[in-house]
Order: sequence, then C-alpha cells, then structure tokens
Amino acid sequence: MIAAPLIIATQTVVNEQDVVTPFEQTLLVGLVFVIMFGLGAGLTPRDFRLAIRRPWGLIIGFVTQFGIMPLLAYVLVVTVLFTLPREYALPVAIGALLMGCVPAGTTSNIFTYFSKGNLALSVIMTTNSTLWAILMTPLLLALYGGLIFDADSELQIPVLNIVVTLATLLIPVVAGMILRKYSANVGAVMELLGGFFGLFFIVFLMATWVPRNWALLTSTPWQTYLVAIGLGLFGIAIAYGIARAIRLHPMNARTIGLETGIQNGPLAIAIVLLTFSGSPDIGLILIVPALYSLFIVIVSTVVTFWFRRANTAEEQKIPNLL
Amino acid sequence: MTDRPWLTHYPAGVEHELVALPFTTLPELVSRACSDYSDQIAFTQCMPNGMNGSLRYSEVDELSTAFAAYLREDLGLAQGTRVAVQMPNCLAYPVVAFGVLKAGCVLVNTNPLYTAREMIHQFTDSGAEVLVIIDMFADRLPEVVKATGISTVVTVRIAEFFPPVIAGIIRLVQKWWNRTLPTIEVEHTSFTEALDRGRASAGRSSGYLDGVGPDTLAALQYTGGTTGVSKGAMLTHGNLVSNTLQMLQMLGGHIRPGQEVVLTALPLYHIFAFTVNLIGFLHMGARNILVPSPRPPSNLKRAFENYRITWTTGVNTLFNALLNERWFVESPPKHLVGSAAGGMALHQSVAERWRDVTGTPIVEGYGLTETSPVLTFNPLGGLVKDGTIGIPVPSTDVRCLTESGAEAAVGEAGELVARGPQIMAGYWQRADDTAEAIIDGWFHTGDIAERDADGYFTIVDRKKDMVLVSGFNVYPNEVEEHIAALPGVLEVGVVGLPDDKTGEAVRAYVVPIDPKPTAEQIIAHCREGLAAYKVPKSVRFVDELPKSPIGKILRRELRAEAVTSATATIETQGRELS
Repeated sequence: MIAAPLIIATQTVVNEQDVVTPFEQTLLVGLVFVIMFGLGAGLTPRDFRLAIRRPWGLIIGFVTQFGIMPLLAYVLVVTVLFTLPREYALPVAIGALLMGCVPAGTTSNIFTYFSKGNLALSVIMTTNSTLWAILMTPLLLALYGGLIFDADSELQIPVLNIVVTLATLLIPVVAGMILRKYSANVGAVMELLGGFFGLFFIVFLMATWVPRNWALLTSTPWQTYLVAIGLGLFGIAIAYGIARAIRLHPMNARTIGLETGIQNGPLAIAIVLLTFSGSPDIGLILIVPALYSLFIVIVSTVVTFWFRRANTAEEQKIPNLL
Repeated sequence: MTDRPWLTHYPAGVEHELVALPFTTLPELVSRACSDYSDQIAFTQCMPNGMNGSLRYSEVDELSTAFAAYLREDLGLAQGTRVAVQMPNCLAYPVVAFGVLKAGCVLVNTNPLYTAREMIHQFTDSGAEVLVIIDMFADRLPEVVKATGISTVVTVRIAEFFPPVIAGIIRLVQKWWNRTLPTIEVEHTSFTEALDRGRASAGRSSGYLDGVGPDTLAALQYTGGTTGVSKGAMLTHGNLVSNTLQMLQMLGGHIRPGQEVVLTALPLYHIFAFTVNLIGFLHMGARNILVPSPRPPSNLKRAFENYRITWTTGVNTLFNALLNERWFVESPPKHLVGSAAGGMALHQSVAERWRDVTGTPIVEGYGLTETSPVLTFNPLGGLVKDGTIGIPVPSTDVRCLTESGAEAAVGEAGELVARGPQIMAGYWQRADDTAEAIIDGWFHTGDIAERDADGYFTIVDRKKDMVLVSGFNVYPNEVEEHIAALPGVLEVGVVGLPDDKTGEAVRAYVVPIDPKPTAEQIIAHCREGLAAYKVPKSVRFVDELPKSPIGKILRRELRAEAVTSATATIETQGRELS
C-alpha cells in the first residue's frame, strides 16, 4: 500500500532507509517469527477449547485488552498528539493506534512472574488475546481509524494488509503447535527462546536503533513521548484499578494490569514493516511502536517493584523449572 | 485360621492367597521385566515446561548393572552395605535404586528436602557408606559428610539421560536463572563417571547376589517422624516382591501388561510410589512418567498434555489440587483407566468429584511404610466403598483390637493390626521398638479403625491425633471431612489444643478459596452435622497447611504452631487472610 508522499514542514525528513535498514528489517521480522513460534509451541488444541469456554478472568482480559487499550490510544492521540501539526501527527497516530490495538506481549509473562502475579492467568491471557487479534486488531483499527481519518484522506490505515500480515504471523504459531506435538523437547526450547527473544528485541533496539536515530529521537516532540509512555503506564494503572474495583484477588489484579499495559511491541513493529514497506511515512509510523517498546521495559520494571513492595503479604508459589 | 469375611468381595478371578512368588528377589523381578519389555520405554521424566528424557527397559537394565558394578568393583563395597539415595523423581532414580539392589546392597531412601540435621540422623542410624545425591541439594554435604560414615558421594544431575542439548539448557537455567546449583564442596564423583567406571569394571567378578534371598534386607525405609525419632523399617526382598504382587493381584486385569502409562507424581523415595509405581508398574511393563515436583500442580500440565496417561497414583491432597486446576477439570485426561489413592484418607467429596470429572474409578488403599506398604485396597471391579480403606489384599489378615486386646466387634473402633508376608522384619537396630510394634507376628499400626460386616475397614484416625474433649474422643478426620465438603474450603487441618475448660479443644485450620466462608459459617456448618463436642471451638484461616513430602497434612506442625503462637499471644494473625 503506497500512500502519496507528504510534505513534512516542521520535522526532519525521515526516510525508510534511515529508520530501519533492510538488515534490521529482516532481523526484526525474523525475531517476531521466533517469538510467535515460541508462543505456538506452548499451545495445544485443548487451550483453544478452554479459551472459548473459560469465562471471568478472560472476559476481563478481553475487555481491558481490546476495550481499554485502543480507547486509551485514541484518547491520547486526540488530546495529546493532535496538538501538533497534522502532517506529523497523522502518521504518528497510525503507529499509536496500532500499538493500542495489538494483543498482549509475551514479556508480560516475565513481569508477572517477577511481580508475584498469577503466571498461568498471564499466559492464558496472552494466548487468548493473540488468537483474538486476527479479528479484533483490524476491526478496532478500522473503527478508530475511521474516527481520525476522513474517507478521502490520502493517508489511510491499510486494514486488509494488516489482516494479511496478522494471518502470516499466525503461521509460525500454528507451526509451533504442530512441531510441539512431535517433539515436546523442541517445543519447550522454542518456548524458552521465544521469551528470551522478546527481551532480546528490546536490547537490540537500544543497542542499534537508538544511537542511529538519535537525531530523530531528540527532535521528537514531548507529546509523542507522552503518548508512547502513557499508553503502557496508564494502561496498567486503569486495568489494575478496574480489577481491584471489582474485587479480584490482588494477585490476579496485578496480572491483569501488566497483561493489559504490556502490548506486543515487536508484533506492532513487524506489522508496520510488512504493511507500510515503501511508504515514506514509515519512519513516523514506527516512532510510537519503537518508543513504546523501549519505555515499556522501564515502566514495567518500576511497576513491578511497586507491586512487589505493595503486595508482599501474598506469596506466590514460584513456578521454577523443577 | 482367622476368619476372613472379606474374601467373598474379591472380584471374580482374584486368587484368595498370594500366588507362589515367581521371584525371590527384586533384581530378579527387575531383570525379568527388562527382558520381557526390553524395547519399550520404561521411564520418561517430564519437566514442568515439557522438556523430557526417556530410558528403555533395556537401557535401565544395562545402566543399573553398570552402577552395581561400580559399587561392588570400583568402590569395593560388601554385600549388605547401606547406600543412601537422595533425589527427586528423575531418570537416575531407577538406575541407582536397581543398581544398589543388583549389587546386593541395601537401599536407604532419603527425602531430598531433609535438612543437614535430619540427614545426619538418618545416615548415622543406617550406617550408610555411600550417598547418591542430586546436585541441587549438595550445599548440605560438608556438614553431613563430616558427621557421618559417608565415605563416597556420587552426584546426580536432574536432567541425567536427557538429550544433550536439552540437558544443557536445563543446566543453564538452573545455574544462571534459578540459581539452584550450589558449589559442591566435598570430594565427589559424578554419576556419569561412576557409570563409566562401572562399565569398565563390569564382569570382573560376579555373584553379587549369592546368598541373597527373600529374607535378605533390601531397603531401610525411614518412618515415624511423628514420634520424634525417625526409625528405619527393614524391608526385605520378600516383603517388597510379595507386596508388589499382592497389590497387582488385587487390581486384577485392570493393569494391561505392556500398555499402561502411569503418572508418578509422588516421590519415589516414598514407599507408596516405590512399591506401586516403580516396582509394580515396571513389573507390568508400563511406561512411568516421572514428575520431579508436583507442586504447584500446574507442573503436571505438560505431563497430562504430552502423554496418554492411563493410570495415576496420588494422595488426597494431589487429587484435590488437580480438581482445583481449571485446565485439568475442563480437559481431563482422555485415556485414564483408573487411579489409586493412598498415603492419607481420601475424602469422599474428592473421590466423588474425581470420578465425576475423569469418568474413571478411583480406589483407596491403605498401608504403612512398615508394611511395604499395601495392607488393604478397595477391590477395583468389585464392591468399592468410599470412605473405607477397602479389604485386605491376598494372604493378609487384618483385625481391630480394643484397649483390652480383644478383637473388636463389627462397627467397634480398635487399633488396626495386621499379619502377612509384607510386614517388615523389624526396625533397624531398635529391638525394643520392634517388640512393641510386632507382637506375636501381628504388626500394630497405631491407627484406630473399624470393620463392617462385609470385612471393609474404615480408618477412624491416628491414635495419637485423637482429641480428647471433656472426655469424649474426637477424630480429626471426621471433622476435616465434614468441613471439606463446604464450598470455599480448599484444604483443612483439624487439631486439638490445650484448653482450660475442656482439657482439649478442637481447632480447624482452613485454606479458603472463593467464595470464602467465614469462621461463623464453618462452625454453623459443623453444628449441623457433628455432635456439639466435635464442633471446632476456633477456626483459623491460613494460606497454606504444613505438609509432608507426599502431601499429607502435618497436624503435629499445626499443633506446634498453635502452641507457639498462643504463648506469643499473636495468635497467628500474621498468616490470616482477612
């Protein structure tokens, strides 16, 4: 999908080559495949049956994941981002909306573990939202995209392309499931690697992408930072608040908070790379997913420390390897 | 000849007497199974994340023979030397245990969670010379080795016999992520090296089992922690072979030779899993799925997902925990044939739900470490009475004796005593204790039971757990069973506490789940179904109950805790949930 070039008056001109090199593109997409593969390697057909049948925690997870996060992204875009010139704000908004609409990330499981949350719930919620994403992510993008972009606007969210991309990314999930059936050992290794690469992804971003795009980052207005950081932080806070308000066990409330706020950053980046490839706006579209992926680690770490201090009374059984 | 009214309830085809033993020793039994089923998988160890390793029957045979050679040739041990084995369920366990037995040595099973103090007692008491220990718990070694007669330490890794890459990953995770691998500060030999040396010296001499027969000591199984001092029950080859066959005979044709997949979530160092899962199912050519730790119960998820489990053994706590796991209840194992419960009373509510959820029978058996362990079993395929421990296995006599020593009438409570080929030879180097426990060939269990007209026995309680309220006997089991039936009660432990007015008073410790009941509701529920003196005077809510390695609720620890906290006047407030 090629959108017509935009003239960006106030900002440095950004082109695709600078923001992500072809090598990085390949590597990032490859990493996402491994991550999705690992997710699939942890699944069995019975998980799908359970996902359909199990009510409470998952309904809440579903509502916070696909209700709160996209809405929060939309509100942040309209109230914060749109104070900036439209030529800049619109492409950035696409990234922000996408970031709000993607499913939960696997790193949420790691933070849940450290904040003594309910690990089983976290894994199920991640799985569940990832499966629903193929339907919900495009649907929500179409909904909120329609509110932001006029029908005749030159910049549009390529919903169909995103469906195709998501479907493509589900291939490794299915492959993981099949492989795991034949070798539980390979499945378990892929699962471990998937979680590991989820973190490695962030390290990779910090080590290569940040220094090279330093100029872009320093010229990025504070409003964009606020959207990228606020999405995770407010997402966690709102979901945690709701879970506590409806009197869920604090352990489950912590889990739901982290699970909601922590989105699948690598997936969002992969979607941008695969669907906006060739678009001159790709750099701006990428900025929120990239900033979000960087800052969510810091936000989650701070929140985890706070959770641990606030909830030391309830001990969780450590799901150690043995 | 004692009257055996239960014999009419044996399912059709079950012999009343134990058949003539086809083997005189455990190594013979093991070797037979290994040659009959040589190409089949004997053991699979399944980690919580699904990583696994397996050994075929032929490999178990070859490896255990090599380990026996290491003990006899390389270390030069004599027949009858005690070898302590301390590890969770893992592939190395059967290799080591069978190796020790093939070497003609005596197996001393040791709980890996023991503290240095407990290890020192057990190794000193048994006179163990060799210790085979999992490397994760090697931090206690310097203190233990110094204080005992242990002269050789062999260290085992948890992922022994796994595919190399998988074993490497597990080791990395243990070392750098979980940080559960202490530095080993004493001289030791790795298990791999021990096996290599055994292979190198194999065949140098033979006849490790010369003179070993049914009456030869096979294992020292420590028990009796409840009375303070742990004693070694002397189990002979005859005891263990007999009990294995008694148990299998009772289960009749329900265990199909060479076809079963049994989940072994209980630790093999415990007599229940040792005899039933390790020896019994090995004899039947089954595939044993070994789970290193069943806690938390989600650790069993992968085992149930990845293997066609047909049999499972467990204790009430384990079955109850699984029934509280959604993944289990919503997708119960499809190939399950039956489950055997033991170790502690199986609550009726748990038994009913288990049948309901899995659609398969669960039968409760009973026994003690001193009885190898099976004494009674509910006859699968016959009349199963929930809440009872069933009827005695073949060639076993069981009676209840009143305080005066007379046989109790039907429905009258008395101490359960038993006689049969599975009764231990005695307590290791404790003639007095032995004389107290085995009188005229009858083993006195210390459990209070009653027999019904059909010959089914019901355990009322442990003699020493009985609570005396104003002169009335209260059996904690009865109160626990009643409270456990209330929604919102996950687990419950009932103990007696000193009381100024009534001598002792009943207290219930409850682990609540949603919808959480209040103390008042629990007491009101008890008033409905129990006599007034049995109703708990107080209820405490806790996060967790103290449990033994197999999951038995430890009432003595609850009592100890209650007494300590009472003197400190804090009254366990810190552990209470609001």
